Amino acid sequence: MLEKEKMRKADVFSGAVISLFGLWIVSQAVKMPMKDSWGGVMNVWYVSPALLPLSIGIIIALLGLMLCRIGLKTVGLAEFKNTVRWLLSRHLVWFLTLDTTARFYAMAVLFLTLVFLNLPRIDFFLDAVLFLFAFITMFHFYDDALMKKFLLFYLAGEAFFILYFAVGLDTLLNGIHPFATDLVALCFLAGYALYVWTFVRRNTDLRKRYRLALVVSLLAPFIIGPIFKYFLLVPMPKEGLVVAVLDYFWYLEFL
Amino acid sequence: MVVLAQISTYFQLLVQTVSDPVNIAILFGSVLLGIMFGALPGLTSTLGVALLTAVTYGMSAESAMVCLLAIYVGGTYGGSYASILINIPGTAASAATALDGYPLALKGEAGRTIGLSTTASAIGTIVSMLFLVTISPIILHFALQFTSFEFFLLAFFGIMISGTLTTPDLVIKGWISGFLGLFLACVGRDRLQFFPRFTFGIPELDSGVEVVPVLIGAFGIPQIIQVLKDRLQVGDVQKLQRIIPEFKTIVRNLPKVIRSALIGVGVGCVPGIGEDIAAWVSYGAAKNTSKHPENFGKGEITAVLSTEVANNACVGGAIIPLLNLGIPGSPPAAMLLGALMLHGVTPGPMITFEHPTFIIECAAILLLASMAMWVTGMTLAKQVVKVLRIPAPIFMPIVGMLCIIGSYSLGINIWNLYLMLPVGIISYFLTEMGYPIAPLVIGVILGPMADENLRRALMVSQGSFLPMLTRPVSLALVLIIVWMVLVQIPLVKNLKNRAVGKVFRKRAK
Repeated sequence: MLEKEKMRKADVFSGAVISLFGLWIVSQAVKMPMKDSWGGVMNVWYVSPALLPLSIGIIIALLGLMLCRIGLKTVGLAEFKNTVRWLLSRHLVWFLTLDTTARFYAMAVLFLTLVFLNLPRIDFFLDAVLFLFAFITMFHFYDDALMKKFLLFYLAGEAFFILYFAVGLDTLLNGIHPFATDLVALCFLAGYALYVWTFVRRNTDLRKRYRLALVVSLLAPFIIGPIFKYFLLVPMPKEGLVVAVLDYFWYLEFL
Repeated sequence: MVVLAQISTYFQLLVQTVSDPVNIAILFGSVLLGIMFGALPGLTSTLGVALLTAVTYGMSAESAMVCLLAIYVGGTYGGSYASILINIPGTAASAATALDGYPLALKGEAGRTIGLSTTASAIGTIVSMLFLVTISPIILHFALQFTSFEFFLLAFFGIMISGTLTTPDLVIKGWISGFLGLFLACVGRDRLQFFPRFTFGIPELDSGVEVVPVLIGAFGIPQIIQVLKDRLQVGDVQKLQRIIPEFKTIVRNLPKVIRSALIGVGVGCVPGIGEDIAAWVSYGAAKNTSKHPENFGKGEITAVLSTEVANNACVGGAIIPLLNLGIPGSPPAAMLLGALMLHGVTPGPMITFEHPTFIIECAAILLLASMAMWVTGMTLAKQVVKVLRIPAPIFMPIVGMLCIIGSYSLGINIWNLYLMLPVGIISYFLTEMGYPIAPLVIGVILGPMADENLRRALMVSQGSFLPMLTRPVSLALVLIIVWMVLVQIPLVKNLKNRAVGKVFRKRAK
């Protein structure tokens, strides 16, 4: 949590955003049937579906304004102007490149790419191994410079995947080979592992951590995944190359 | 006769649960997992219950309750390990334990302190179980006479009180958080007229916001980001000697145990207030009534006793409003609500008609969970504390993976993930800016209840709010809510403080 003074400054902004959000709720709620007929039912204000959203919107807008006022009153208008000036200066860029902020970006990128890009399109087990290996190597080395390098490499790979899916290469290649996308993901995973290795190979401690990262990221999905897939009978978000191999062994299709 | 029949049912259910080896395995496994979740700084019992909810999908309601209540009890107790041995609270509930537990460990009494916290936690859970059994019929008797106005006001009261008491900063922030949760609950088709609200034409939003993925996102993702962003480092683990159950200390301090248990149950019954507040209130009470308050913070054994009894007594306390009124008493209880609905059990006044033995069954499971916790704590503590050596960058990504697969598997819907992640990231920012997350979650859970009952009540009264002031329970709730709002106004706050000051001065004279 932020310090108290910083918090009050932040309250001015968060209060304003929340207030605007409240107004947006009100603007949406007034479009809902208040007196008209909906589905054959004539509305009166007290049965209208807008009743609660309208009340919530008004309350949120008011509370946001109050928060804004408290923040302004505590920090003073002059100090608030200084904060706005700070936000518009180069200091903001400095803040956005802080190591702690970079750590947040790294986690946000890892989660966002996993959920919105990889999971719906690439085999679950490959996604999980890539996510865990990238996550652990970025954070377990306790070196922000290395983390930034790994993040850039990971981002480049994910940017490639965005292009790959956007131009429809996946449809084309999957037509040639059923698991083409998974094979591309596997290549990226191997590439990432090699890239990380080049930074750690001369350091005994980092090498140890690298091995641990590799073991954990390989083991965990193959313990968690089968529990959901074969015991709880939950189909994976995307079943590809690895799931096909696991199915092959699980159902003893080779017998 | 009714009481005797209830007692006989209680023991029947107890024997029935114990006689099934699968249930016993689930019980001990979940307690152990709960202790590990509680012990690892950054993981909480709420997250434990959230993640295991997905695993209970294929179980019967009974086995699911064994699993979830056991992890809840174990998680609340497990937090004390990290507090005592490394001075970092494993969970917020055990933050007060660290104040005196760690100094005791430094004196070489770690084994004794862990033993005491184990016995105290078990006693706290058992006392709260007794309250669950005895108070529930009384609450149910009154709750059956509630009309839609009372239910709307109860939901509203739950959101307001949770916002007021859980906020780490301004009370307004707690309320904003609660109303944001209420807004989230409005998304989807409304239940009375089936009108789509805030769905933007997306069919996946028609059924509304799924509670469990929202809870997993709101509690899990901010936790992961916070721990790894701030590089939470675990210090040296204190040496753990022989674990001693410390029955003598408990008997010597019996009045303190009873007082702490009552505080725990009382705080647990208040909607949305967690075990952490129970522990702090109990710690404060123990210090204020102690003959040697100067020893607190330097390794006072009664402080550890008070906090550990209270935080575990909160477990049963939080289940009382959950089962009888459908209002969760704490964040893990909110998760339990989601899990119960998943298993076809709708908590509320009708629970005794739809599932006549369910409350007694929960009480029996609580007793078994506390016993399993005691046995596990006494025998496996030395092994369990080894998990404290696992670095956060190793287990946090795995927790992230579990959050994702857990949210997805509830409904086998990838849309749950599209909802869980933004909620998680927004919750992180809210937490950073001092907005509590518990009211948001309570808002999401109680939103449908508030919406439906408000409109139904107004339909019956033809748009009149007057019945709110003519019915005693409604009036009481209205007055409490109004008072809660009024005391935040500086003028009223000053008047109240002056009046309280006057009373204290008179007493001092």
